[in-house]
Amino acid sequence: MRNWYENVDALNPLVVSSRIRLARNIKGVPFPKRMNTAQKEETLKSIKDLLDGISIDSVGTLKYIDMEAVPEEELFAMVERHIISPDFAKKAGPKGIVISENEAVSIMLLEEDHIRLQVIQGGLKLNEAYEIAKKIELILSKGLTIAFDSQLGYLTECPTNLGTGLRASLMLHLPILEGSGSLSTIADSVSKIGLTVRGMYGEGSRSHASLYQLSNQVTLGISEQAAIDNLTAIANQIVQKELSARENLDKKALEDSVYRALGTLRYARLLTSEEMMKLISSVKLGVEMGILEDIESALPMSLLIETQAFSLQKTNGRMTPSDRDILRASIIRERL
Amino acid sequence: MMCENCGKNPATTHLKTVLNGVVEEKHLCSYCAANNGYGNVGGLSLTNMLASMFGESVSRGKPISKRCKCCGASFSDIAQSGRVGCSECYTTFRNELLPSLNRLHGKAIHIGNTPVEEKNEDSLEERIKKLKKQLADAIKAEEFEKAAELRDEIRGLEGEENNA
Repeated sequence: MRNWYENVDALNPLVVSSRIRLARNIKGVPFPKRMNTAQKEETLKSIKDLLDGISIDSVGTLKYIDMEAVPEEELFAMVERHIISPDFAKKAGPKGIVISENEAVSIMLLEEDHIRLQVIQGGLKLNEAYEIAKKIELILSKGLTIAFDSQLGYLTECPTNLGTGLRASLMLHLPILEGSGSLSTIADSVSKIGLTVRGMYGEGSRSHASLYQLSNQVTLGISEQAAIDNLTAIANQIVQKELSARENLDKKALEDSVYRALGTLRYARLLTSEEMMKLISSVKLGVEMGILEDIESALPMSLLIETQAFSLQKTNGRMTPSDRDILRASIIRERL
Repeated sequence: MMCENCGKNPATTHLKTVLNGVVEEKHLCSYCAANNGYGNVGGLSLTNMLASMFGESVSRGKPISKRCKCCGASFSDIAQSGRVGCSECYTTFRNELLPSLNRLHGKAIHIGNTPVEEKNEDSLEERIKKLKKQLADAIKAEEFEKAAELRDEIRGLEGEENNA
């Protein structure tokens, strides 16, 4: 089974991934910040008992992992693969995740809320991702009493998530809109209709690879399906804008910058992660536009994720930044 | 002026620190400022914003000794952190929380999915029926302000129903 970044939507390659996140809590148990160790261990066990070993269509068997025992490198490599949040990786004390074989499902336990259920899929697949999330939610809500209020919806630690507790996000590859400076205008307009645009790794992160996350902000007073439909409609408009901006590019200049990026990636001996991301983005653009026909469409994203600092260290142990740059360049030379 | 850290973007964050009489100035772009831990100079993190919204209800009210039976949080704990202690706090401190929640979300009411066991009990139709009863009670008791709120709520839900 393949990871999200190994699946490219052939019809819509600019939509890199679709992500659904549901925030849920157990009724009558303090939120993680106010839990003692015994309560944390008991909660982890009750969710582990419900989900560990369960098999879900299209994502495989779920497995519980005690995250307190996982080394730091592996935790941050998971952040780089978008499986857990940076805050969760840094958090001390008992915590766990339930993860599917292909990592499409990852459920953070005792992050900000008791349960943060995430489903991530390659391409434009929000509805599919939500269907999977609902299946798992059903198992959870049969085994646990989920905190819910008919007026406020699902009860969460942060009042901004009240209501559906749903955060739907699409990761979009927008190099030309970014280059033309129109992204800030887009960010302004989408914020007026309750959406937000952020960098690849969320709040405050800048994207070196022209990857942006579009997600819903409003959770109360809107149904899950309406939130997903709005987001999809706006994403499609942004993608159309990016595509039409691409139409107007000077073809020779574009081809030149794509091949220069490919050339550097194929021959460089040292690549920092920032440079790698910028170049990979150009190569990805070349693949999306049919300039680089013999590069497998999923390869740019796979390299981008797998050659980030912690993902390299996960398989090779702790390294100095310059050793990482050497290894990164050699992996890319070999696979590209 | 360009950012003194990366030299690529205009400096937008200007910091002056005085330590033992030594004055140090820094001029950074927003990205470098955030990366170097100065991203929150104005104190406008989400937590701080929420805390100040809740804080208003604290200062207006009497000193609060009430604590949540489930998690032990007092309302001032919630107001200071901008974070709610447990799901029961939403019941315990409902009156204190609602004004801020209304400012945060508008007068919106949840219209999404419900946990399995709640499903039958809380359909849109049921909720409208309940609210209409409350409305009739409010009118009878001459609580017109409450009645007006309930009327708006019912209209909102009926709108949803017609859209569905």
